[in-house]
Amino acid sequence: MEIRRYILGRLFQITLIFFVILTVLFLLFRLAPGDPVSRMVDPNMTPEDAQRLIEQLGLDLPMWQQYLIYLKNFLKGRFGISFHYGQPVSEIILNRLPNTILLFTSSIVLAAFVGVFLGKIVSWKKGERIDTWVTIGALVCHTLFLPWLALIIIWVFAYWIGWFPLTGMISAEIWTDPSAGLLRKGLDIAHHMALPLTTLFLIHFGSYLLVMRSSMLDTLREDYILTARAKGLDEATIRNRHAAPNAALPVITSVGLSLAFSINGGALTETVFTWPGLGRELVFAVSNNDYPLAQASFLLIAAVVLTANLVVDLIYAYLDPRIRY
Amino acid sequence: MKTGNEQRDTLAAPAGRRDWLAGGWALFWENPIGKIGLILMACFALMAAASFVPPLLDPMYHPMHGVDPEISHATGPSAAHWLGTDFIGRDILSQLLAGARIAFMVGLSAAFMSIFFGTLIGMISGYAGRFVDTLLMRIADMVMVMPTLLVVLILSSLFGQLRIWTIVLLIALFRWPGVSRVIRAQTLTLKHRPFIEAARVTGASHLRIIFRHIFPNVLPLALLYMTFRVTSAIIIEAALAFLGFGDPGTVSWGMMLQWVWKTGHMFQAPYWLLPPGICISLLTLSFYMLGRAMEEVLDPRLRKEGESE
Repeated sequence: MEIRRYILGRLFQITLIFFVILTVLFLLFRLAPGDPVSRMVDPNMTPEDAQRLIEQLGLDLPMWQQYLIYLKNFLKGRFGISFHYGQPVSEIILNRLPNTILLFTSSIVLAAFVGVFLGKIVSWKKGERIDTWVTIGALVCHTLFLPWLALIIIWVFAYWIGWFPLTGMISAEIWTDPSAGLLRKGLDIAHHMALPLTTLFLIHFGSYLLVMRSSMLDTLREDYILTARAKGLDEATIRNRHAAPNAALPVITSVGLSLAFSINGGALTETVFTWPGLGRELVFAVSNNDYPLAQASFLLIAAVVLTANLVVDLIYAYLDPRIRY
Repeated sequence: MKTGNEQRDTLAAPAGRRDWLAGGWALFWENPIGKIGLILMACFALMAAASFVPPLLDPMYHPMHGVDPEISHATGPSAAHWLGTDFIGRDILSQLLAGARIAFMVGLSAAFMSIFFGTLIGMISGYAGRFVDTLLMRIADMVMVMPTLLVVLILSSLFGQLRIWTIVLLIALFRWPGVSRVIRAQTLTLKHRPFIEAARVTGASHLRIIFRHIFPNVLPLALLYMTFRVTSAIIIEAALAFLGFGDPGTVSWGMMLQWVWKTGHMFQAPYWLLPPGICISLLTLSFYMLGRAMEEVLDPRLRKEGESE
C-alpha cells in the first residue's frame, strides 16, 4: 500500500504550503504601510459594530495573539465583513466557489482531452502538412493574449452574430420564472458558459497538444512499440493501446505544472465575461480596496490551486503503476 | 600556480566552443520555427527603436500626453493618424510603438532577473545537496504553485499603485522555480563529471567550481529558459495593466487594451482593439518559437527528430 503513503505525503506537503501562504498573508496585511485596523474594518461602520469586529478579529491585541486569533477565525470560516457588500466575506466567497470550479475544471478537462486526442493524431502524421499546420495553430493558440482573445470572442459571437449572451452566468428572467425547470436553468448556464469555456479551452489545449505530440514521438522510439509492430498489430492498435496511454502521462504532469497559469487565465476570463467567480471577485475587491474580501478570495483561490494539484497527483498515481506500487 | 589555473580552465571549457556555436546557429536557422521567431522579433525590435520618432515629428504624437487638438473622441485611421486615435485624441500608432519598447524592457529585464535567481539557486541547490537542496527545492515548490498575476494583484492592493520596475521585480521573484529545477538537475549530472573532480582535487574552492566550471555548462540551458520567461513576463505585465493595475505612467499594450475595454469602445473601434492584442500575441509567440528552436539545438534527441523530417 505504497499509494497511501504517497497520498499522505502529498497531503502533508500541501497543508504545509497552505499554512505558509496563510502566515505570509497575515504578515503582509499587518505589516503593509497604513493602518491594519482600517484594512479589516469598514471605515463606514458604526463605532459599536466596528468595535465588535475589532474585538472579534483581535486587532487591539499584540501581534502573536492576533495571529492565533487569525488562525482560529480561519478554521471557523470568519474572514470579516466585506466593505462593498456589507455581508460576511465567507458567505460571498462560498457562493462564488462553485462557479469558479465549474468553469476551471470543465475547461481544463476539455482542453486536456482534445489536446491528447489531437496530439496523438498529428504525431502519427509527423512531417505531413496537417502536422505542421496543427502544430503552428497550437503554438499560436497557446500564446494568444487571453483577455484580448476573450474580447474578440465576445465581439464576434455575442455582439456581431449574437448567438450567445454578452456577459454574466444566468438570465434573470429564467431564474425568477417559477415554472422554469432544472433543465432549462442548466441550459441557461451552459449557454452563458459557452464563450468563457471556449476562451479558456483555446488557450490551454495548444500546450497540451504540443506536450502530447512530443511525448508520443518519444514513446514511438521505445522497444515495446517495435515489439508491437513485430507482432503484426495494426497501426491503430499500436497508437491507441500501446503508445497513447504511456505518452499521455507527461500531459498530466504538464496540467499540474500549469495550474497556476490556468487560474490566472481563469481570473482574467471571469473578469472579462463578468462570470461570478472567485477570480473576478478578487479583481473586483482589489479595485475597490475591499481588503477582507480580497484576502479571503485569494486564500480560497490558493486552496483551489493546491487541491487541483493534489487531484492531478492522484490521477497520475492512479495511472502510473510505478508510483502506485 | 598560474599554469595550474590555466589547466583547470581548459578542462572546464572544452576546445571548439566557437565551432559548437556556429554549428548550433546553422541548426537553429534551418528550423522554420526559429527563423520565423527571429524575424518576428526583429520586426518588434524595429518598432521599439522607431518609437522615438513620432514624438519628435510633432508633440501631438507623444504616446501619453500628446493629444490631437482637433480630435476629442476615438476616430478611425486617417492620413495624420495611420491607426486612428483613442478616446481623447492620442495617436494609436505611436502608443503601439511605445508599447513595443515597454514590452521588451519588461520582458527582457524580468526574464533576466528570474533566470539569474533561478540559475543561482539551482546551482547552489544541486551542488550543495542534502539539507540546503531540500530546503531550496521545497521553497521552489511553494513559489511554483502561486498564481503570479493574482499575487501581484493582492500586493498592489496592499502597497498601492505599483511602479513598472516593482512589477518587473515581482514577476522575477515569482518566476524562478521552474528554471532552478532544470538547472539543479543539470548541476547534479555535472557534479560527478571528471572535470569537476579534477578541479576539486587541485584545490578549487566551492565558489570557483560553481561559477567557473558549472556555470558555463548550465548557461545555454539558462538562456533557453530565459526565452520562455520573457513570454510569461510580457503576458503578466500586460494582464496586470489590462485589469487596471499597471504603472499609470507607462503606455504598454495591456494599458491600451484596458483603455479600449474600460471606455466601452471594444465593439465600436476595431482599429483600436486589434493592434495591441495582435502585438502582444505575436511578440510572445516569437519568443516562444525562438525558445522551441533553441531547445531543438540544445537537446540532441529533439535534433535527430528534426533531421529525419
